[in-house]
Amino acid sequence: MNKKRTMPGIISTAILCFIFWMIITGQIVAVFTGGASLQSIVIGLIVSILVGWFSSLFLINDSPFYLWMPARLVNLIGYIFITLPVAIFKANVDVAKRALSPHPKINPGIVKIPVDVSSDYGMALVADSITLTPGTVTMDIVEENGQTYYYVHWIDVETTDPAEAGEIIKGTFERKVKGIWG
Amino acid sequence: MRIVIDILIFMGVFFAFAGTVGMIRFPDTFNRIHASGMITTMGIIGVIVGGILYCAFYLGDGAMVVKLVIMLVFYLITGPISSHAIMKGSYKHGVKPEKEMVIDQYGEDMVMEEEE
Repeated sequence: MNKKRTMPGIISTAILCFIFWMIITGQIVAVFTGGASLQSIVIGLIVSILVGWFSSLFLINDSPFYLWMPARLVNLIGYIFITLPVAIFKANVDVAKRALSPHPKINPGIVKIPVDVSSDYGMALVADSITLTPGTVTMDIVEENGQTYYYVHWIDVETTDPAEAGEIIKGTFERKVKGIWG
Repeated sequence: MRIVIDILIFMGVFFAFAGTVGMIRFPDTFNRIHASGMITTMGIIGVIVGGILYCAFYLGDGAMVVKLVIMLVFYLITGPISSHAIMKGSYKHGVKPEKEMVIDQYGEDMVMEEEE
């Protein structure tokens, strides 16, 4: 862990926390309709700066404005609202069929698949997407000779070849995430 | 709009039901986690999106919509992390799969590391 607290990281984390505070306490509506309480906003500001200093190591640590580019933002929104729900729905129908069929046909195993995404955020996003789709759960991430591997528990092992299994499990996710975090 | 809301909520309840049945019928811990993943994804998405549309179009309650959206976001962030943690923890603890795994590269690699 050789991460350092940077000023832009702290500020952007604090701004994120402050926006959440305003939404959850309902002050963001009160600002426009009048009747916002100054006390509540000042407390929110102080707490957000403290939390930002404390947690910027884990949330935003390098180049906070990385996502602030239209192409990446559009890709991220498309990923969250189109790619992911479609994949989740397909996987759900598949697992539901297995659960409700008279003879549950399952074929479990743990496969090791290579992943080409290199940044921390990208790896976390791909691993989370794999786990979100029922039928596959990421168990561990390791790095061997510069290549990242995931261990994935798969409910129906169709093939034991790493590249082919990787294509079935995370082919679409990986291609989309490369357009966001590379 | 009412029909869309009903379909969404019914879909959520159906997948939650399928997940519960799967949790009972699948043989061991690892496969049961897959069934519970079905409840925390499609069950939650269906019911909460239906609830959002209901609050927005029938109750006109903006604060409730915001709270439901935040609930959905945090559910989808924390759900996979907990299933990952349970899966890895139970594997490392030595829970034996009841149905023989087709392939277990994680176990093979752990054995290799110990020998080295």
